[in-house]
Amino acid sequence: MAESGGHFDDEASERYSMGTLSGEEAEQIEEHLLICEACRRRVAGSDTYVTAMRRAAARVRRSKKRRKD
Amino acid sequence: MPPAGQSWSRLVKRIQSGEASAMEEMYGIFTTGIRFYLCRQLGPQDLDDRVHEAFVTITQAIRKGELREPERLMGYVRTVVRRQVAAQIEAAVEQRRRQIDPSLGAVVCDRRPNPERQAIEREEAAVAYRVLQSLPPRDREVLVRFYLKEQSPAEICREMDLSATQFRLTKSRAKMRFGELGRARLAHHRGFRPQE
Repeated sequence: MAESGGHFDDEASERYSMGTLSGEEAEQIEEHLLICEACRRRVAGSDTYVTAMRRAAARVRRSKKRRKD
Repeated sequence: MPPAGQSWSRLVKRIQSGEASAMEEMYGIFTTGIRFYLCRQLGPQDLDDRVHEAFVTITQAIRKGELREPERLMGYVRTVVRRQVAAQIEAAVEQRRRQIDPSLGAVVCDRRPNPERQAIEREEAAVAYRVLQSLPPRDREVLVRFYLKEQSPAEICREMDLSATQFRLTKSRAKMRFGELGRARLAHHRGFRPQE
């Protein structure tokens, strides 16, 4: 999960945004976010992407269901 | 990280001895991170007050010697802001309960995100929808399972007979496309015309 210097990769950032990390992993990330601007920007980007994808995926699901009905 | 040439313990000791410059250093190190965390969890309302409250709690604990492992200062800061978030959420739940039962007499307030934020989120979701619609149905299904149903990559690969590499490629292509479409949309809104 961690890259050098305590930074974390895009995948960990996305999992953090989705809330699917273990408690220990989330703890490490949150401590690092207290002091790292680059990783805060990374998480802000993941938050935007994950929120948008969830809404869009829900819309896809709804239209698929409507077509079935 | 602690200021150059120092450890967290040293910073904590300096705060305990009442050094004003040590307090300033701690503010400088943690303010943006605490703001980010609180804003992400609770939104921008009353943010300055909440950040101030966090620092008051942290400083008092340090001065009273309650921080037993000074080297774990970052962990302690995180614990304080997490508790603050939990208390705020609990208070909001209680307020909602009172709104349902008017006899409890709480003030009813509008907690929806502001209209500008709502508009931005709608646009971002529209971009994501275009990305999903542009994909082959099978790739779309992968992403719906991952982001909406929160299936694990291993589960998706097993059920859809995909390799881990195929899964990663589908995800990364969609993300790249989202970035491209998002930038194009932003440029359009700002009246930007790419030079030919």
